Amino acid sequence: MKKLPLDGIRVADLTMMWAGPYATRVLAEMGAEVIKVESPRSWDNIRTLIPQPGKDDPWNSSYYFNDYNRDKKSLTLDLAHPRGRELFLRLVERCDVVIENYRADVLDKLNLGYEVLRQARGDIILVSMAGFGKTGEERGHVGFGPIIEQMSGLASLSGYGDDGVPYKTGISYGDPVAGLAAASAVAMALIKRHRTGEGTYVDLPQRETMSTMIGEAFVAASLRGEGPQHYGGRSPRWAPQGVYRCSGEEQWLAISCRTDGEWAALAGVFARPDLAELSLAERRRRHDELDAVIAAWAIEREPLGAMMQLQGAGVPAGRVLDSDQIHDDPQLAARGYWVELPHPRMTPWKQPSTSWRLVEANPQLRRHAPLFGEHNDEILGELLGIPGVERQALAEAGIIGDSPINPGVG
Amino acid sequence: MTENTLESVLSGVRVLEIGGGVAAAFAAHFLAGYGADVVRSEGPEDALTHDEAIYLCAGKRRIVAAGPELRQLALAADIIVEDGKPGTLAAMGLDPNGLRAEKPALVIVSITAFGQDGPYAGFEATNIVSFAMGGLMSLTGSPDREPLLTGGNQAQYLGGMNGFGASVTAYYGALMQGEGDWVDISLQECAAGMLELYGPGSASTGAGAQMRMGNSVRAVWAIYPCADGYAGVCALERQVHALFDLLGDPMLNEERFRDPFQRAENDDELQAILYAWFAQRTRAEILALSPIHKVPFGAVLTPSDLLASKNLQARGFFDSVTTPEGVARMPGRPFEGFLWTMGALHAPGMDTEAVRRDWIAGVPA
Repeated sequence: MKKLPLDGIRVADLTMMWAGPYATRVLAEMGAEVIKVESPRSWDNIRTLIPQPGKDDPWNSSYYFNDYNRDKKSLTLDLAHPRGRELFLRLVERCDVVIENYRADVLDKLNLGYEVLRQARGDIILVSMAGFGKTGEERGHVGFGPIIEQMSGLASLSGYGDDGVPYKTGISYGDPVAGLAAASAVAMALIKRHRTGEGTYVDLPQRETMSTMIGEAFVAASLRGEGPQHYGGRSPRWAPQGVYRCSGEEQWLAISCRTDGEWAALAGVFARPDLAELSLAERRRRHDELDAVIAAWAIEREPLGAMMQLQGAGVPAGRVLDSDQIHDDPQLAARGYWVELPHPRMTPWKQPSTSWRLVEANPQLRRHAPLFGEHNDEILGELLGIPGVERQALAEAGIIGDSPINPGVG
Repeated sequence: MTENTLESVLSGVRVLEIGGGVAAAFAAHFLAGYGADVVRSEGPEDALTHDEAIYLCAGKRRIVAAGPELRQLALAADIIVEDGKPGTLAAMGLDPNGLRAEKPALVIVSITAFGQDGPYAGFEATNIVSFAMGGLMSLTGSPDREPLLTGGNQAQYLGGMNGFGASVTAYYGALMQGEGDWVDISLQECAAGMLELYGPGSASTGAGAQMRMGNSVRAVWAIYPCADGYAGVCALERQVHALFDLLGDPMLNEERFRDPFQRAENDDELQAILYAWFAQRTRAEILALSPIHKVPFGAVLTPSDLLASKNLQARGFFDSVTTPEGVARMPGRPFEGFLWTMGALHAPGMDTEAVRRDWIAGVPA
């Protein structure tokens, strides 16, 4: 069988929350062995971000944690303890990559910066994902995905257009974007190591990564001094475009006409031949009026049927799938996108598979997210050769553990 | 010829970009900056807007090619990135499986709205359609209004970011194993797998869909109007007490605000305190508090604000590209650690002869 591209690559994963774990989820999907390292005292807060009152070991049964940490192994190790740090450096000797998304000053405070890691392994790849980079006067800023979105310029571009209010995207958008870039950076560093034999230290400032997603707005600002414009659901390029309410509660359909032909087809669906010949300029000028025509048509229809009818006529249209409906979408179902993995504490649910579908190597989800410290024996015993007696002593000293020392609200 | 030096990680790597919408062009933009010889085979004239073309075409060689010549170029490439509808490559004589059979090390990355197969594979889509079908739009915007499209072309840029990562990852696989692959990327899937806690929450709890929450997920995770614009705060439990100390309202010492569960029930009252606090301060004043108090504050900055940032200038973030209308300044490398150089902006088709010479001269058709 064909191997996955990152087959044989081992990653020591210090990341927490969402941005970093999203990166290492992708690395695991591409075949890497990802070892998630958490301290029994300082662990990934995502495990308990959603309270589960009355639940035994809730840190092992969070769907939020599970979706972004499957296919990884769990090692608990207190990096702030000298023995824990020493064991981590022994692990680094056997790893290709170390990745972290701590606040910018944390890795150095643990005395585990790039130069220290290099002494353990000369060609180590270190990816650091601090929000504002490791250098510069803003490096001390702290931030999660929505902060990154605001500080990158993107939030300034989003809005309905009639009230001047900027909007955030409905997820912590900066996180997965930075995660994708970090996974890409690992592949870049592996290519470099293959070509030169050298490791790399990657400084991935999440805010700057996010700004690369709106490059054309910087072109407009620097060439012509243009500020942000809010378009709501409309397009600066073509018309009409928008999101229209369908029958039922909170059901919406996005419709977009790029060309005269697509508009004529849409007017045909409405049986409005009088409108079919409108030019782009006229469609722009009469956008409000056309919106009313489209809205009157859409409100009488359920969104899936309306989408199918418009697509049948060659008009770009798509349902605004909500977080529930998307798990029943016929296209994603036909592609086998949702996968139910067995889990020792949870009833299986539909988890997303990889978005990098290698047609031939065919990556598949392999395993649920690890329980807390689940692979301590495997990694410390088999990989690092630490005898059972010593592992027992480490557990008694709280340097490793199979449950958090300080469980509480994230 | 390429302007990249030998130190670039991807120097000598040949990339052929076909189709040339935002998704393929953005994926190849990063490959170009990190040193690959990116050749853009022009798609339709309106594949990119004027400003997108400046951002996404700089540093690439631009050709017009078709038929057997394009196939020769495809077989001379290490990586092909394309964003045509399913079947477009095959119709051009570039069937991916055929190319892969002929050149096993070749990496082909196809970015489409819905993927290469399935009942919607042939459907028409634009950015808003992909943003809607990927689940992001239902979560974005005010609960009192229609779902909102995030600014720019985020669904397509996400496809490009995924396409870049998949390109270099599959290329690394080809270096190690001698075998590339064909990567089938769907914009819908790119978004559907990153719905934060809301996707897995709806899938696993049976609680139904998450309604969009506008700019306020909760009082301490929100954007507020401030004295000179908009600013925000995102505090997790471990940061809430430091935030409360800054707000300085003695009422916040009460158990109903200290206790996370009771706080949720008193969110409106807490929001009112935050509205008042933000309104009295400027973005710069608020941002200055973040590193000192370790509270995640943000400010809604515009591209012009960022272009004026001394810090981003000192970090060497921006690229400069000469255009007929002047010098455009735009975001540079997505991360540091590799040499990044942004080459000049070429006119469409101007490199056809040179690429023919460099890539396929003397190669039998």
